[in-house]
Amino acid sequence: MAKVAGKPHTGRTGLSDERLRELFREMVLVRRFEEKVEERFRAGDLAGFLHVAIGQEACASGVCAALEPDDVIASTHRAHGHTLARGTHPNAVMAELYGKVEGCSGGYGGSMHLYDVTRGNLGANAVVGGGLAGIVGAALAFKLRGERRVAVAFFGDGATNTGAFHESLNLAQLWDVPALFVLEDNGWAESTPAAQHIPVDDLCKRAAAYGMKAVEADGQDLERVYEAAAGARAHAVSGKGPVLVHLRTFRLAGHYVGDPQIYRDKDEVRRLRETKDPLAKLRARLELSDSEVEALEREIEAIVEGSVAFAKAGTDPKPEDALKWVYA
Amino acid sequence: MATEVRLPRLGQGMEAGTIVRWLKAEGEPVRKGEPLYELDTDKVTQEVEAEANGILLAILVREGEAAVGTLVAQIGEAGEEVSAAPAPAVEAPPKPEPAPPAETAPPPSPEPPLEPRAARVKASPLARRLARERGVELDGVRGTGPEGRVVAEDVALAAAGPRPPATPVLAPAAEAEVVPLSQTRKTIARRLTEAWQAPVFQLSVSADMTRALVLREQLVARAAEGEIKPTVNDVLTKLAAAALVRHPAVNAHFAGEAIHRFRSAHVGIAVAAPNGLVVPVIRDADRRPLAEIAAARADLVARARAGKLSLADLADGTFTISNLGMFGVEKFTAVLNPPQAAILAVGSIEERPVVVAGQLVVRPLMHMTLTCDHRAIDGADGAEFLRTLRELLEEPGLAL
Amino acid sequence: MRELTYREAVRDALSRALRADDRVFLMGEDIAEMGGSMGVTQGLLAEFGPERVRNTPISEMAIVGAGIGAAIQGMRPIVEIMYQDFLPLSMEQIVTQAAKPRTMSGGQLSVPLTIRTQGGAGWSPGAQHAQQLESWFTHVPGLKVVFPSTPEDVRGLLWSSIYDDNPVVFFEHRTLYPLKGAVPDELEPIPLGKARIHREGEDVTVVAIGRLVHEALRAAEEAEQEGISVEVVDPRTLLPLDEEAIVASVRKTTRCVTAHEAVTRGGFGAELAAVIQHGAFDYLDAPIERVGARFTPLPFAPVLEEWCVPHAADVLAAIRRTVGRHGD
Repeated sequence: MAKVAGKPHTGRTGLSDERLRELFREMVLVRRFEEKVEERFRAGDLAGFLHVAIGQEACASGVCAALEPDDVIASTHRAHGHTLARGTHPNAVMAELYGKVEGCSGGYGGSMHLYDVTRGNLGANAVVGGGLAGIVGAALAFKLRGERRVAVAFFGDGATNTGAFHESLNLAQLWDVPALFVLEDNGWAESTPAAQHIPVDDLCKRAAAYGMKAVEADGQDLERVYEAAAGARAHAVSGKGPVLVHLRTFRLAGHYVGDPQIYRDKDEVRRLRETKDPLAKLRARLELSDSEVEALEREIEAIVEGSVAFAKAGTDPKPEDALKWVYA
Repeated sequence: MATEVRLPRLGQGMEAGTIVRWLKAEGEPVRKGEPLYELDTDKVTQEVEAEANGILLAILVREGEAAVGTLVAQIGEAGEEVSAAPAPAVEAPPKPEPAPPAETAPPPSPEPPLEPRAARVKASPLARRLARERGVELDGVRGTGPEGRVVAEDVALAAAGPRPPATPVLAPAAEAEVVPLSQTRKTIARRLTEAWQAPVFQLSVSADMTRALVLREQLVARAAEGEIKPTVNDVLTKLAAAALVRHPAVNAHFAGEAIHRFRSAHVGIAVAAPNGLVVPVIRDADRRPLAEIAAARADLVARARAGKLSLADLADGTFTISNLGMFGVEKFTAVLNPPQAAILAVGSIEERPVVVAGQLVVRPLMHMTLTCDHRAIDGADGAEFLRTLRELLEEPGLAL
Repeated sequence: MRELTYREAVRDALSRALRADDRVFLMGEDIAEMGGSMGVTQGLLAEFGPERVRNTPISEMAIVGAGIGAAIQGMRPIVEIMYQDFLPLSMEQIVTQAAKPRTMSGGQLSVPLTIRTQGGAGWSPGAQHAQQLESWFTHVPGLKVVFPSTPEDVRGLLWSSIYDDNPVVFFEHRTLYPLKGAVPDELEPIPLGKARIHREGEDVTVVAIGRLVHEALRAAEEAEQEGISVEVVDPRTLLPLDEEAIVASVRKTTRCVTAHEAVTRGGFGAELAAVIQHGAFDYLDAPIERVGARFTPLPFAPVLEEWCVPHAADVLAAIRRTVGRHGD
């Protein structure tokens, strides 16, 4: 199947300005939420470890904007963005990071196991590639039942080396299931740059290896991401088979919160922050004024601060409830 | 209002870091995002950025280790007051208190001294429990399990402790048949030696069995087809049980540290079995009707003779009756059946002349000797029990 | 009552479920036209078609993962792993992606997946086709583990496993497939977590699983001739375990032998022994004996295999050891 390259854009996507503003707001929310998470982690508030999606907001928002409410997603360890973009309230996410009962996983999951099943979020996964095969199964279920729904797996370039990736793409294509494989290619697998772990120059070839359709887009451009995802969804849901959605993006922070990124050129990181910020791109695109943005930032700050207050005031789960969910 | 600069937590598990050097001086302006100082964690040295704009008002921890969260500097407006002396660098952990000098505590208040044991006795958990429950000393029990382990059967045998006849049999030495001791016999021998060491006394009485014999005949006449016919021994068992519950001091075990007095009378009946004497127990003899006692006795005796008694049959006796009357023995003294505190030796019923209301008459008399463990039972207790038993035998209606 | 072989009994449960319930479908290698490498699924393709009886590529990870995804979406998939030696290929999916989401999500979803597999020595398959790994899965909270030994049990328990809302790893035994046994005319579901007493006895309890249930019964017959009365108990479900019945039996007999075809060290007999010694400590008149395979990868040569794998004689020897005496 042919690979469809992203077309150079001149026109509109079909997203109204109003919708784009909403999505900009969403991306700002994700950004500020992630910064707040970093701050709270440094202050010693948050247990475990965390991976923020700073720089990859457009991937989450763009793809999720193209989905229907009864589509399902499976995320990675870098899940806060996907979770917020799928509609889970920041209060519920922050409360989960604080290990509270009010958290979206009841305090049982934490940052890497954010679930919101009623919003079609089948969970963040700490095992690289762990959720891909499950997405194939979900898509299969939709197909068997004749439902017009897609199952979407988010993963990074590191995951494309796992056996799970290859087995899942192979099976998905073989059985023509309505799945989207969204590759957030940020060029890094933790501390290992792509050149050190990927022997092909273009990851779309990995879809071609399975005869699967692939689409590419600039992961920092929300509208391009949306376009690619919407097109892919239409393809999949019409029974034409799964699609690899290859988004070239940039991780503007470390792999995990507190990662000093000693393996990365600091100047390069600074340069990327200046030139590849998806928020800046969309803001410019919408021609938002300083005062509009400041007002929005204040609003978002209140929401994010509010989520911290909500979380801190939350309820700790009872220790004796630790065994509550082991068996259905 | 000054912004506090606190040592950040840069990775999970980080508890403290070492400030290597400051990149800004006190009084210098700083901007948010500018590197402020170098911090050494256990993984790497990295620059920590300022989180606010302003003047670096004060450096509170110049260098060295500080715990995460320590206030290390203040950033604010020029001329602002800086808050008072901050928390110092992380203190060395407090030295442990010197251990209190070892006191020679007085030894615990005197328990009876434990028997010195050369080595731990190998016994199965089940055997240990049975030994505990029956007051059997494990190191006195010979083990027949692998590697000499004491198993349940060994304890049961030790607890059941059959007795040899009171009079030993001597054979002419030249024509002696040499019978090596079987395990069972060894156990019996050991247990009896143990029992012999208890300080005992004996009390004797003869009971006029006239009424008891009449009662027995009536019961036999009324016994239905197929029902076990009660014997005089059954009547004795029932009446002894009745007497025992009236005199719990005699319905007892001596258990080393304590005397256990039982509310129910589980009467053991000595029976000659193929491997030696065994003492199956009729449980709750005080509460069961005579017909049941007869049936239980018949069953136990049959099984004892066939060698088919179970552990349960031999367990929990509170008192034992040994009757050699069927052999014509008129009277004898029985050896205690530990941990039971008393045992009754019963002889044959013989017609004897007695004086009743000044007249010489002939009555069927049965001699009984009660052996008591003086550690558990005093003379008066034993005497009162025996008197009651005799009264009941002579007038069974008094048992009602 | 009628008679079915163990194989037919499995097939009977599968076909009844497929017939009655659209949510049920099968996935596995060679299960369609070939009817499975052990012939269990013969005839099912013809009756139910390729959408519901699906041959898969050799992709154990994806097979299990797709089963998980479909199960989460409300289907009742039954996946087959051809030989349990291939279970390790899908371990991450089983142990993490199937067993943990219910807890990690705070109870938002369940994974009603059944994973069927088989194994067993006795035909010189060599080390890679004869492992017995059931004990590994009893160590994973969130899974259930079933290992039936008779046609009636395998049919009734497979049905209950399919309709259990938790992921079940269901072990069949190769040498038992041709075993004939009486089964009720109508399928009677057998609850998970209930042991079966095959034979009552007074002197020693043998707790056996899989093929060793039958070896234990043979050993019990022989022991009877020696005056040893043997009780044979088959847990049938290893997780959850019917601790009550097993402990009650040992309290009655005061002696115990565990028996399985799996390697003794770290085998399920170790867990049984721990449970029993704890529940029946004051009742044990002898140490608990464990019967299992020798600690080696299974060698090929028939004489070597025979020596390594346990048989009735090994169970009998263990029985004798429990009642043994000084000098025996």
